[in-house]
Order: sequence, then structure tokens, then C-alpha cells
Amino acid sequence: MLLQLNNIFKWVNSGGQRIFLLKDINLQVEEGEFISIMGPSGSGKSTLLNVIGMLDGFDEGEYNFLDESVHNLKEKLRSNLYKEYIGFVFQSYHLLDELTVQENLEMPLLYKKVKGAERKAMVADMLDRFNIVGKKDLFPAQLSGGQQQLVGVARALIANPKLILADEPTGNLNSQQSEEIMELFKQLNTEGVTIIQVTHSEKNAAYGSRIVNLLDGRMI
Amino acid sequence: MIKNFFKIAWRNLIKNKLSSSINIFGLTLGISVCVVILIFARYESTFDTFHEKSEQTFRIVQHNKLPNETLYWNTTAYPLAEALRNDFPEVNVVTQIAGPVNRIFKIEDSFENENLFEEPNVLFADNYYSKTFDVEWLAGDKNTALKETASVVLTAKLAKRYFGLSSNNYQNALGKTILLQSKDPLTVTGVIKNPKGNTDHQYNMLIPYEFFKINNPYFSANWSGNYQGTTYVVLNEASQKIDFESKLINWKKKYLNPQDNKRISYHLQPLQEIHNETLYGASPGGYIFPKNILNISIVVALFILLIALINFINLVTAQSHSRSKEVGIRKVMGSKRSHLILQFVFENAFVILFAAILSIVVIQGLIQLLNNNLTMINLKLVFQAIDLLYIALAIFLAIAVAAVYPAVVLSAFKPVQALKNKFNKPVNSKINLRKALVTFQFGMVQLFVIAAIVLAFQMNHFKNSELGFHKEAIVITKSPNYEKATIYREKLLADGGVSKVAFGSGPPMAVNGIQLGTSYRLPEQPEEESMDAEMKIGDLHYLDFFNLELLAGRNFLSNKEVFDEFIVNETFLTSFGWNPSEAIGKKIQINEGQATIVGVVKDFHNNSLQYEISPCILLNWTYYQGNAFIKMSDSNFTALKNIRSNWEDTYSNAIYDYQFLDDAIAKEYTVENMVFTGFGIFSILSVLIGCLGLFGLMSFVIAQKRKEVGVRKVLGASLIENISFFSKEYFHLVALSFIISAPLVYYFMNLWLERFTYHIKLSFWMFLIGGLSTFLIAMLTCSFQSIKASRVNPITALREE
Repeated sequence: MLLQLNNIFKWVNSGGQRIFLLKDINLQVEEGEFISIMGPSGSGKSTLLNVIGMLDGFDEGEYNFLDESVHNLKEKLRSNLYKEYIGFVFQSYHLLDELTVQENLEMPLLYKKVKGAERKAMVADMLDRFNIVGKKDLFPAQLSGGQQQLVGVARALIANPKLILADEPTGNLNSQQSEEIMELFKQLNTEGVTIIQVTHSEKNAAYGSRIVNLLDGRMI
Repeated sequence: MIKNFFKIAWRNLIKNKLSSSINIFGLTLGISVCVVILIFARYESTFDTFHEKSEQTFRIVQHNKLPNETLYWNTTAYPLAEALRNDFPEVNVVTQIAGPVNRIFKIEDSFENENLFEEPNVLFADNYYSKTFDVEWLAGDKNTALKETASVVLTAKLAKRYFGLSSNNYQNALGKTILLQSKDPLTVTGVIKNPKGNTDHQYNMLIPYEFFKINNPYFSANWSGNYQGTTYVVLNEASQKIDFESKLINWKKKYLNPQDNKRISYHLQPLQEIHNETLYGASPGGYIFPKNILNISIVVALFILLIALINFINLVTAQSHSRSKEVGIRKVMGSKRSHLILQFVFENAFVILFAAILSIVVIQGLIQLLNNNLTMINLKLVFQAIDLLYIALAIFLAIAVAAVYPAVVLSAFKPVQALKNKFNKPVNSKINLRKALVTFQFGMVQLFVIAAIVLAFQMNHFKNSELGFHKEAIVITKSPNYEKATIYREKLLADGGVSKVAFGSGPPMAVNGIQLGTSYRLPEQPEEESMDAEMKIGDLHYLDFFNLELLAGRNFLSNKEVFDEFIVNETFLTSFGWNPSEAIGKKIQINEGQATIVGVVKDFHNNSLQYEISPCILLNWTYYQGNAFIKMSDSNFTALKNIRSNWEDTYSNAIYDYQFLDDAIAKEYTVENMVFTGFGIFSILSVLIGCLGLFGLMSFVIAQKRKEVGVRKVLGASLIENISFFSKEYFHLVALSFIISAPLVYYFMNLWLERFTYHIKLSFWMFLIGGLSTFLIAMLTCSFQSIKASRVNPITALREE
């Protein structure tokens, strides 16, 4: 088992009232799964993804990740955990505008203190695998949306994560580009990477092995 | 990693051209001005410290206790040096100088043509001079050069001017003869280097002190006066000062008569303190740079640097909004906070270093500019290796304050919020740091602006106050020969363009540091009750020429070789409690003799306006009438040419020189003028730097609120409403900063003005002008950006999300 959420609650206080963002979430994810989280706007999809990604905290409940009790961990250890095992893909790609494709891919490795030669090799490998060797010296602004997201996925994968979290990865792409990215996810999944994606599209959800539906912070 | 930092720093610099250039320009300006002021302050505080024995050297100053006041003199009686040398063999060196004075020399060139040269900086110095002060010898024997009475030591500058010599042949000057005042032959016995800039001994030529003594036998044997002899002693240890001073108390009885002994006390003033101490006044040819102005200038320097640093902090933190996404991504990608801090510090430090390197160039330019423009104080600033240390300190301060703080702020962003571009608005504090900094910054800017305005009014007061005498269109020339005065006068008047001519010792207000002093009493009073007065000599036209108004009595009837008539000013009368008509006919004793008061004139400013009007006595004497005053009748001063030819006709064998009276008076305010000019420049610079910052800040604020403007415009906001929406906050801050700075300026400017006897009153509207003008400039700066933003089609702004 990769991770397990037990009775997770998350709320904010607004005007003396407690507004629940997540309500009694129970979720178990096995290694190798491909899960799609669906639901209308404001149902808590992204919040759930952020909680799973440990970018955001929660107020009540238990979260175990690879047999570590995340809810008991200090902030620092928690961030070490996600840095080691989780890769993120964003709707608006979130590539660094000042860095080239190659440099964007290299960045996570710098923080993991990977040695120079090894870093080069890993980046070259990734460029090769995604067929973007010719684009390595371009800046994000010089790429199409689909190509940018390709780089985004490559960056998420470069440090060999166990889990990829994707928040509407195709939200800004046209249908053809969307299809390419989803095919890529599917392929990665068959290679053993666990994927959790947030999506609006039934078509994209169909690529996954399981669908989790949310409404007003509750799983239905 | 460092390579990566560098790359990102450089790309960001290029990407944000506007804010980068504002940052670099503002910081360069701040660092440069700060360092130049520090260099200037160091220069002014290290006068005469370069001499080898500088720390052990003291000037003997004289406190002169009179019934109505104590006078502090930087010169002593001439025989003092010799007496000290004889009675205190344990004292290392005693030296005495007189001058610098102005002399004329006749020199024969290689074609046997005789040329006249005027030299304003002739210093009479004894053979001990070069044992006390560092003099670099280029030719001649330093031990014997000033021993022979009829010898002269030239500086390299004069060796070049007189004999066309240069560094390889100064030897050739030795043995040549120059004629002092066309009669006394002096043999060149040495050539020395030109004096440095930061010394109060600005000589071009040294003539043995013995020569001066022989030619002035009366002065050089007189213990009562102070005249122009400056005495220095070199003690074996600086710590012997107090001991030596106390020895002098008993010792002086031996030479001074009982009255003088009671009145005069000798004190030692450390050589290194002379230039910054106002008590004893400037020595001839020198000037004083007061310690408190020195301190203020250092504070000003730091303030200007601070204003620039605040800009930097504000701009960088404002930019953080555009960097927040990056912070989020990097954190999600595994960056530690310390890593991000390091990255941002590096980035900021990169900009700071860039500015610092630029400032090295700017500083050189500014120094050159100062040296060229402040020739009246003979400024010779040099950029030394040690000044890099100042720059390094500025860099260090800048990095500590302006690089680390924004980096810490930036790196603290939480990844989720940062990615969503949600700003961590200061939740718990209503006082936002940026607002506080802007307020503080504009507080300082207004401090400078208001101070500059007050100084401008005070300078105007100095320049345009009613002085009690005429000063316009008056030229002063020398009148070296009393016998020829009448001829000169007639020639001048005959030629036209000249309406009046008078002769006297000096104009009503003492200029060029020359004032004749004497002491006065009633003949029946004992000598120790004598009080100090200024003595002026004027001819029969003097009163009419300067339009001095007689309150009682009459003008002189004639000038005599033994004077017998006095005209006194009103202030003089106060010492006896007389009214003007009472004073007429009273006999008064002064150092130079006795005479009867025949007239009383209304008070006029006989001292420059920093100082009070002092008792003044006019004598009908034929001596000391060394100056001619010439009033020109037309505003184009066409008479100047005639004056010269008439002068040269009358006094052949001398060099013509003239001065306008109002120029001479203006020179009395050199230091005040420097302070005013300084503050003027600093206030403009601070406004510039402050507004640069505001401009940059606004551009970010507006970039952030583009969407909001779009919405407002769609909903029907007008241009003015949009401007006020953006700028309101900053208007409030500038107004608040005025409230903070106004009382501070009030306090400090009062302190400054109180140093002057005649000063303006601070009034509300001076502050108002300063505050309003800063406010207006700030408003313009804000509006410029907001107008630009408001003009954008709202659709472009709204489409982005």
C-alpha cells in the first residue's frame, strides 16, 4: 500500500462559521494505481490533491504514506518525504520562465544534490525519452502548451518518484495535446508509476483505473 | 549551483530592465554620494595630520581676557618663540611663522627682461620650520636653506613659473636672485614640493623669518600684541601638554608687563585639531571646517545611502509578487528554504556589486567635479585605495540590509499559496513594513528639502541684508603709496565712469580676514580696563563714499600723521552708556594714541553677519590707507579699463589687482555657502532617489492591480478616480512623513541658525513649501504610472485570468 487517508477533515473559519473543505475522507491507494479525482468546481479536488502531496495540511484525521504517519511528522520531515517520493504536474505547467527546457529539467536534481555528470546523463535521458532533445535550449515561452506540459511531466518524473500528482494536467490544452499527455500517463502507469490526477473530463478519467468523486468536500 | 544562481540573476536583470536600471542607478547614486561625502569628511578632518611629528605638535594660542569679553587668538607676540627656545631647552622644536602675505617680486629672465610677479602666498618661516612640518626638498640643503637672511625657498610651482624649470633641473634655481618689492635681493637656496591640499599652510614660497624680523623691528620686539606670528612647539610626548601649559603660567611673568600678564594666557592647541575648531578662527590663508558640520555631513552621507537602500528593499520586495510562482515551484521541486534565501541573496548581491563597481567610476567623476569647483578652498581630494574600503562597507551594509531581508521574505512563501499567486498579506500587522520604509524615506527626503530651503533663505539674508553702507558697483584696488593717493584719485575722477573715490584701511565690513584691532579706554582708566575695538582708517571722503550716516558731530577735518580725531559707531557708545551727542568731545585712549571723538555714526555691519557688530573707531590717520575704493557710475563698469591704466600709471613697478566689494563680502560666507550648496545638491539627489524608488514601486503595484483597474474601468471609473485609487496610499504616507520630519528640521535648523548673530526666523511657510514641493513631485511620479495603467483597454487586463 502506498498511502492511506483515514477520516481526513479540513476546514477554514470564516465569519465565525466553520466551512469544511474536506469532510471525512477515507482513501487507500495501492502502488501502480491510476486514480482520477472528479467533481464540480469547489468540491475540494485540488485541496485533496494538495493534502495528498503534503503541500497543504489538514485539521483532523490520519494520513499514512509508505508506513510513515504524515500527521505526526514535523513540517520539515514531511517536505523531505514529498520531495523524495512525489512528482507534481500542474494545469498551468509552472515551468520557470527564466530557465531553458534543459535547465528546468535539471532543477529538481540540483536540490537533490545529484552530481554534475549524473545530472547531465539523467537530463539527456529524459529529453530523449520525451523526444524533446531539439528543444532543450528553448525557453518555456518558445514552446506550445502541449510541449510545455510535456516538459512539466518530464520534470516531475526526473527524480524517479513513486507517485505523480497531476492537477488538471490537460486543462489548458487542446484535445489533441490532451490525448498525447493522457497517453503518456497511461504508458507511465504501465511502467509502474502511481498516478493521481484531478480532472473535469470524463474522457481523461477513463484512462485511470479508479475514479473518486467529490461533492462539497465529501467522497460520494 | 553558483553558476545556476548567476545565470538566473543575470536573466532576471535583463528581463526586468526598468526595475533593474532603477535599482542599479539609484544604488550607484546612493553609494557614490555617500562615499564622496565620506572622502570629503576624511579630507577635512585630516588636515596637517600627515606630518611626521603631527601628534606632538601644538599651536600656541592666546586667550586675551578683557573686561567685556575674552578674545581667542591663534597668533601670538613675535618674541615668544625665541624666548621659549631659550628657556625650555627640553622642548623638542619651537618654530614661528608669519603670513602667508602678499608680495611682489621682480625677476630677470634669461633674456635680461625684468618681469613682475605677484605672489599671494609668501610665508615667513624660520629654520625650525622643516623640523616641525614635513617639507619635501627637491633641491638645496634643508638644514641651511633658511639660515641666511636674504634667502628664499621656492615651491616647484614657482620654480617653474619664474625660471621655467621642471623636475629634472630644479638644481638650476639655486643661487638665482629675485627682488622682493623690487628692492631686496633674495637668493634661492632651495626648491620644495608644493604643499598638499589638506594643510592649513598653503605657501608657495618660504622666506626666512629673520628677514621679516629685521624689517619689522617694532612688532618683533613687542609682547603685547598678537599681530601675525603663529608659534608652534613640538613636545617630546603629546602627553606633556598639560604639564607644559602649567609651566607657561609662571614663566610668562618674566616677559609680559603686569597688565598683560593678567590679561594674556597661553594654551596649547593640538595641530590636528586646528582645522576643525572654530574658537580661534582661521589662520591667515586658511579656513576652518567646523567639527559639527563634519559630523552632520557624515550623517547626511549615511542618510543618502539609507534612502537608496530603502528603494532597493522596496523594489525587491515588491517584485517578490512576480517571483512567488518561482518560489512555489522550487519548493515543490525540492528546494529548501535556506537554498532559496541563498539564491535571492546572491541575486540581490549581484545587483549591489554591479552598482558598487559603477560607483567607483562615478566617484572619480564627482571628486574631479568637486576639486574643480571648490578651488577657493584649494580642495585636492584623491581617490585612494582605502576608499575602496568605504565602498566595501557600503556593499556590506547594503547586502546585510537590502539583500538579506527581501530574500528572507520571499523564501517564506508557502508553496500552495505562492503557486496560486495568493499573497501572504501581512495578516497580523496593520503596519506594513514597506509603508513604514516609504514614510521613513520621504521623511528624510523632506528633511533635506526643507533644510535646503531654510539655508537658501539664510544665504539670501547674508547676501541681501541691509548692511548700513553702500556696497554696489564698488571696486577696491590697492593704494601702496599714500603720497600718490591724491594723484590717483584725480586721475580716476577725471576719466569719467567713476563717481566717487575714497581711501582707507578697508571697507566698512572687514573682508579678506583683515581687521585692525586695538583696545580703548578713557584716559583716566587703568590699562587693564581696556576693551577691544576695531580700528579703521578712512580719509575725508570715507563717510560720504559708503553713505555712513552721522548721528551727531561732524566728519574729519583732515588726515594727519599723528591722528587727533575719532569717529565711533553706536555700539562703541554702549560701553560707556553715552548717547551720541554726549560722546562728542570726549577723549579716548587707544593703543596707538589719544584723540577726541568728533562724530558718531549709525551702526553698520563691520563684521560679516555671522557675528555681532563690534565697537568701531575711525581714525583720521594717514597710515594704513592701503586701499582705494572706487564707485563706478555706470552699470556696465566701463571704467574698469581706465582704473587699471590709471593705477599702472600712478604706481609703476607694481602689479594691478582689483576686487569688487560685494564679491569680497560674499567670500566671508564661504563655509556657509558650501553647506548650502551641499544641502541643495543633496536635497535634489535625495528627491531623485526617493522618486526613483516610488516610480519603481508604483510600477509593481500597478502591475499587480491591473485586473482591478480593468474591473473598475468596466464599472465606469474615470481616469482621476483611477489615479487616486493608486496614489492615495502614497499621498498619505508622504503627508505622514512631513509630520514626522517637520519638527526634526525645526529643531536642527534652529540650532544651525543660532550660530549666527543675524539670522532669519523659521516660519511656517518654509516648511510648507518644502513639504508641498516634495508632495507634488511624489504625486507626479505616482500619477505618471497610474495614468499609463488606466489607459490600457480593460479587456487586455481581464482576459489574462
